[in-house]
Amino acid sequence: MTNPMTDYQFQWFFTIVTGGVSAVWFLFDMKKLLRVRKLDTTDPSIRDRRFGYVMGLVIASIGMIGSAKIWM
Amino acid sequence: MAVAGDTLAAPAPAPRVVSPWNPANAVTASRFLTLPLFFWAVDHGYRQWATLFILGCGLLDKLDGLVARIFDCRSVFGELFDAVADATCYGFGLIVVAAYGWAPVIPVVGVIALGAANTVMRAIYVKRAGRTTNYKSYAMERLVAYTGYLIGFATGGFEVTFFYWLFLPVMVTILIYDTKRMLIDPIPEPGPEPA
Repeated sequence: MTNPMTDYQFQWFFTIVTGGVSAVWFLFDMKKLLRVRKLDTTDPSIRDRRFGYVMGLVIASIGMIGSAKIWM
Repeated sequence: MAVAGDTLAAPAPAPRVVSPWNPANAVTASRFLTLPLFFWAVDHGYRQWATLFILGCGLLDKLDGLVARIFDCRSVFGELFDAVADATCYGFGLIVVAAYGWAPVIPVVGVIALGAANTVMRAIYVKRAGRTTNYKSYAMERLVAYTGYLIGFATGGFEVTFFYWLFLPVMVTILIYDTKRMLIDPIPEPGPEPA
């Protein structure tokens, strides 16, 4: 059975699916985090959201760094 | 002249019951169909096909939420079923890639052990609440997506060591936070079915 892509195409595909998605995800979570920052942080559900968005930023950063590493 | 009926409040609408046999849950269940294909691809060494099958599984995970919104059939059962499907699909995928030597065993064992601990805590949370409920963790939702990617990193041979070893501290941090929320903090009052 043949591969659907060449190795080079697959590398690019993976970079876009990982690095590209991570970059978009980073922007979305950053926007949400800035919005939540203005809300009442004594509310546990708001704190949950804020923590979730911060972890989203960490995970998205790992995705972008890992995607860049493959080309280094 | 006022009549008695004018002063009576309108009867509260009956709570809406969503059947578990709905399109969103069908999409969730269809994720299981990707698992035999994934296993076949790994077993034959077809890395690219294995990556595409696990990617399909991940996309179906995103699609079920969209289908639930379109058909207005979101339910607590659907959320729990989605969590069970995540655990089954990604647990199976991680075990397969580790068994075939495509991923480091120690982080995979750690991820599965922490995932099992999270499942137990969710069960305790449900018991504390005394009703079918799902603890919504924004951080864990993001980590589940990362877990799906982990399998893809292994099948694609894409910076495997980097992604697998960094996953563990992130998961431990989220689990510590969620443990406090599920086991110690007060449980919020039940609200309407998820919208």
